[in-house]
Amino acid sequence: MSYIVPVGPYHPALEEPIHAKLYTEGEMIKDAEVFVGYNHRGIEKLATERNAIQTLVLVERVCGICSHSHAFTYAMCVEGINQIEVPKRGQYIRVITAELERLHSHMLWMGIACHIIGHDSMFMHIWDVRELVMSLLERLSGNRVNYAMVTIGGARRDISDELRKDIISDCDKLLESLNRMVEIVLTDKTIAMRTKGVGVLPTADAIRMGAVGPHARASGVDIDVRRDSPYSSYDDFDFDVPVCDSCDVFARVVVRALECVESIKIIKQALENLPEGPINNGNKLVKIKEGQMVARHEAPRGQLSHMVVGANKFENHRVSIHVPSFKNTPTVPFMLRGNTVADAGLIIASIDPCFSCLDR
Amino acid sequence: MQEYKKIVIEKDQIVPTAERMKKDGRALLMIHAFINNENQMDVSWDYAVDPAVESYHVIGETEFPSIGEIYDTAATWPERELNELFGITFEGLDVSQRLFLPEDMLETQGKGQIMVMPLAELRKKNIKEEV
Repeated sequence: MSYIVPVGPYHPALEEPIHAKLYTEGEMIKDAEVFVGYNHRGIEKLATERNAIQTLVLVERVCGICSHSHAFTYAMCVEGINQIEVPKRGQYIRVITAELERLHSHMLWMGIACHIIGHDSMFMHIWDVRELVMSLLERLSGNRVNYAMVTIGGARRDISDELRKDIISDCDKLLESLNRMVEIVLTDKTIAMRTKGVGVLPTADAIRMGAVGPHARASGVDIDVRRDSPYSSYDDFDFDVPVCDSCDVFARVVVRALECVESIKIIKQALENLPEGPINNGNKLVKIKEGQMVARHEAPRGQLSHMVVGANKFENHRVSIHVPSFKNTPTVPFMLRGNTVADAGLIIASIDPCFSCLDR
Repeated sequence: MQEYKKIVIEKDQIVPTAERMKKDGRALLMIHAFINNENQMDVSWDYAVDPAVESYHVIGETEFPSIGEIYDTAATWPERELNELFGITFEGLDVSQRLFLPEDMLETQGKGQIMVMPLAELRKKNIKEEV
């Protein structure tokens, strides 16, 4: 018997609003369509009335999870147009915040994935460990979300020596918990049974559809902006880019778990070698010169790019934001085909979708 | 600082450029658009030529060939977005379904106007229509 099963836009199995139409034959999904655009807030349009400092605040509100990534990328665009050099200490602080953000984002996703899988004890354990990261972000910035750590030309808040030592020591505790988590992810039967061979996106299709971030790396595509187009001193740090070629939901769990370990490596290196000196160029409001710049950043979900056009005014002439979910969401119908309806929620969640980012 | 290269091309070079980039294994980052100071549409196709971004611009046109056959959804989603927000048309692109804007905005106000019309005028227009 054939049915069309509507899922969403608001559904208990979904993290965020997306509407999926599943064309089924019995329990099997034969084809699928996805519809987005339930959160469009016109942020790009609003940015045309904002100056650079106001835009930092605005773009942080694109997403509650990767808020620092948006401010970071936007600032790189303005700094590129105005040829502003960010002091080394400011660059390191931006990197530390970005990696802490990646840690909490990946842990949030892994917790949700375990919850959808039905492994609730693991979900609670991961979120318990994540609290340590959230506390560090709160101590670093004063906020648990929307950290406001970026200003044009550097960072807004410095890291005291006491905090620096505390974060290093907490990183060691985190690493211990993460190594245990990775071990569970790799060996747990429940996780394996629900995720292996589910929602497969072969390497060739991931490249064809332009998938990015951990989603692409779990399909064997070896890409990472931090390594391929280094910025903000990422080339000072030694880290690996985990790639997995089983192309299924299991690979997406493994890649994100391993990336958490790499993020801790970066944070520790940055804190142990934190350069002396200023963190910014004075936190001044700048006129955005005439010109255009595209900057890229490896956000937790993949490559994030912003384009800014300046017209020698304080306000932006144009801000265009291109988020990783823009590339990863179109792969969902492909991954759903040939799977059961029961796995649809997990497959949609496996790209770590952010429709708040996507809709802007 | 990341490198950004701006290259101005003609409309008939869009597809050959996309084919060359695809052959070289370059990812299409995004297709952007804006109205420049001379009130002309400036549309750019950005490719990751690591470590740089190469941005191919066509200025003063509003109708383009689609590169959906070359870059699949990585191209068709940005093309659909530009169609909704700027009213730019891409030959052969299926725009029968909405992407970001609500259905009522597509049918009445909004489609192709959002990024073109200044925000103040857009607000006035909306207030008038609501009344």
